[in-house]
Amino acid sequence: MNPQTLIAVNIGLPVVVALASLVLNDKKVRSAIISLSALFLISSSILLYTGGGVVFSPAPVYETAVLVLDFALLGYFLYLGYKTRSPLVLGLALLQLLPIAYFEFVLKGAHVEHIIVVDSLSTLLTLIINVVGGVILIYTLSYMDEHEHRLKVERSRQNQFFFYMVLLLGAMNGLVYSNSLYWLYFFWEVTTLCCYALIRHDATEEAERNAVTALWMGLVGGVGLVAAMYAGYYSVHSIALTELIAAPHSQVLLIGFALMALAAFTKTAQFPFHKWLLGAMVAPTPFPLIDSSSMVIAGVYLMLRIAPAIQGTTLTYVVAAMGAVTFAVTSFQAIRENVAKRVLAYSTIGNMGLILLCIGLNTGLSYTAALALMFFHSVAKGLLFMGVGIVENRLDSRHIRDWEGLLGKMPLVSKVMILGMVAMFLPPFGMLLGKWVAVDAVASMPSLLGVPLMVLVVLGSAATTFYYAKWLGFMTVLPNTLERSKTESLKAPYKLGLYTLLGLNILVSMGAALVIGEIVNPIMLVHYPQAVTTPALALDLSFTTFPVLPLWLAVISVMIIGTMVAKGKGGALSPPYLGGENVEGKPVTFRTTADSEVAVNVSGVYLTSYIDEDRIDRLSVGVGILIIALLFLVVII
Amino acid sequence: MDAASTLISLGLALATPIIGGVLAGFDRKLTARMQERVGPPLLQPFYDVIKLWAKKPMIASSLQPVLAFGYLGFALIAAGLVTFRQDLLLVLFVTAIADICLTVAALSAKSPYSYLGARREFLSMLSYEPVMLLAYVAIFLVTGSFTVQGVLDYGMPLLLVIPAALVALQLVLVVEMKKSPFDVSGSGHAHQELVRGVYTELSGYTMALVEVGHWAKVATTLMILSLFWAPNPVIGAAIALAMFVVTLVIDNSYPRLTWQKMLRTTWALGFTLIVLNIAFLALGGVI
Repeated sequence: MNPQTLIAVNIGLPVVVALASLVLNDKKVRSAIISLSALFLISSSILLYTGGGVVFSPAPVYETAVLVLDFALLGYFLYLGYKTRSPLVLGLALLQLLPIAYFEFVLKGAHVEHIIVVDSLSTLLTLIINVVGGVILIYTLSYMDEHEHRLKVERSRQNQFFFYMVLLLGAMNGLVYSNSLYWLYFFWEVTTLCCYALIRHDATEEAERNAVTALWMGLVGGVGLVAAMYAGYYSVHSIALTELIAAPHSQVLLIGFALMALAAFTKTAQFPFHKWLLGAMVAPTPFPLIDSSSMVIAGVYLMLRIAPAIQGTTLTYVVAAMGAVTFAVTSFQAIRENVAKRVLAYSTIGNMGLILLCIGLNTGLSYTAALALMFFHSVAKGLLFMGVGIVENRLDSRHIRDWEGLLGKMPLVSKVMILGMVAMFLPPFGMLLGKWVAVDAVASMPSLLGVPLMVLVVLGSAATTFYYAKWLGFMTVLPNTLERSKTESLKAPYKLGLYTLLGLNILVSMGAALVIGEIVNPIMLVHYPQAVTTPALALDLSFTTFPVLPLWLAVISVMIIGTMVAKGKGGALSPPYLGGENVEGKPVTFRTTADSEVAVNVSGVYLTSYIDEDRIDRLSVGVGILIIALLFLVVII
Repeated sequence: MDAASTLISLGLALATPIIGGVLAGFDRKLTARMQERVGPPLLQPFYDVIKLWAKKPMIASSLQPVLAFGYLGFALIAAGLVTFRQDLLLVLFVTAIADICLTVAALSAKSPYSYLGARREFLSMLSYEPVMLLAYVAIFLVTGSFTVQGVLDYGMPLLLVIPAALVALQLVLVVEMKKSPFDVSGSGHAHQELVRGVYTELSGYTMALVEVGHWAKVATTLMILSLFWAPNPVIGAAIALAMFVVTLVIDNSYPRLTWQKMLRTTWALGFTLIVLNIAFLALGGVI
């Protein structure tokens, strides 16, 4: 199919479906339309990916439409600022409205020859957004029913939720196709709007508050992009990304790139903007799910786009430092966190930090690591998050402490989730492979730069192992006296979502060499020399190799032989040793002095007395602001 | 790689539990002598494991058998990665899976003692993993490779270039062997507040599997340490053995510390030593 048509479908279809789901109150029809359009989007993104790139400008009427819609959007933000009594939102919206008006009507803008430029990077992003996003949409069909049932809402507000969810997909697609910085900014602001609306969906006080936080932090990114437009205009008289990237360095242009990096920091929730992503966790799970797996990568995308242009500047290393600091600190924050979704939020912020670190190092190897991490993170985090959503609904609790022995209560979802966790941090899965390339990339830097960053990376990755391992372990607390259920009932959309992403995870991890060789390398080779070759489906970094398939083979053999040994030897289930006589018939209870019975309680490991959340939070806000100041200082001086 | 060296590598990987077992016997003998006892025969650990294997199977949770085998299995994969001269970072990551198998097996029993042991085992991992990783980075900076093959090709003894990294790895070895003062998660003998920590709920064949896995792990780590004098494997093995003995001496002369002190010591000392070593090399223009 014609790539232009596919691009129109990827942006237009979500808009149409979003509007349709807003007006359609018949749930069956709505579900059918959403499922169908999810399938449609998945196939069109695959077609676009295989079809290759295209460069064009849509008819002028679309330019006018974007302009009108943009002003409408900014007007709405002003209204929101007024309604929520938030001077911050008001001010930031004005800071966009006035400069944009001046830019478009007084300066008459800067003509962009090709508004839409779709290359291999854009098509990969579209592929991730639509495949993971599409599966999430289908999962959402089941989720929202359970969610509304649990909250006992009287009037279903699902149509609003779906409106913004589907719209978000369209905006994300538009964002990665836009070559005009103005269009990119417009779609960026649409995602900010969706964010706001989805976070406040449940209309609790906390949700309202967090939504406003997300809104103003998103608007900071918007202001950054508007300012970057000016920087582009005054340095090379263009706001076309392709031209900005190709232009020779000047101070004003570099300030423009620094501003775009700032915008990327807001979207990827780097310090000090981490609060919005944590706050977003109050929303119904599908939003944080789509947010963590396919929306935050909008920020990553922007950095991936401009990274080749800032090669060799100090600016790029400031970006790397920001990523490294965020990765290390959030990984420790995640240890002390008890709310399941917030652990995942910290993990997302941390992994985005790791990716930004790799982009910032700006070598062929590190760019490869960044793309690989982004790719594998989306599928693994999506899977894990889906499980968390189901569990949260069914247990009616957000806290990990209530998850003890989940493997016995919800065996199916638990098993899938455990695999999801393993996919996040252990070999032979893709995320670990990405992290391995990342460590190699950091180590390959000059030691003055590489060693301090490496210290942060090793600390962060040890903490990552810690918080995932203890969470995973806590789910398996299964004393022999515990009652078990055979399996839980899951509706078709749930199963479809879970199994698709599980299968995808195993597939891309086993074929990691293909992912690197066929998907990542073509993108990085545009700007960088080749760093990773893939002979015999292994990864070859010239100074070391990752034997993907032998490792899979070894791991699978261990699992099979282990199961056989377990079957062969078996063993009678006996009660644990409790330091006293076990009470018959009561789970994990023993007799102590005067025959009184004591039930044993084990809890998770949170180290709350060692990791002071508030203090670290204040500190990280300070450090974040400092690094952002540095971002501009290194350009100006 | 030709057939002969493949066989040698495979054989060496499968021999790690035996090497580790003999060393465990040596440990018991030497420790006994330091405490002015006679001590058991050298092969006592093997007799123990054989007896454990033959005992009536009893498990505290249905997950334990698979996980106990997983501990041994992943320890063997890690050993294989070393003997096939693969990437050291991968060895570390695969060893982490083995450790996680053990801790999950401990947690799944819902026993307060094995829970406490598991919790501290996580903390032990947190204290030695980053130091080990950073030591491998130091090796990379010197040799230009993360692989065992790269170290073998380097030609010079690493000990002469990064001696401080080896000292840091000595700390790691104490934690990994679960020896005093860092035997916080469970050790060879029972402790008051902990019983046997992570091992408390293992018995019979699951305990045997974990015991053998532990030998494989220790032997693998010693193999990596012997790389510090790669040009001559005999000297390398002597260095590793010396560090093993030093660990036993430390074990017998220090009381156990809390996990907080363990974390502080390994991080502060480990990181400082390695970073200073790298800084020294960078200043000297070696890297």
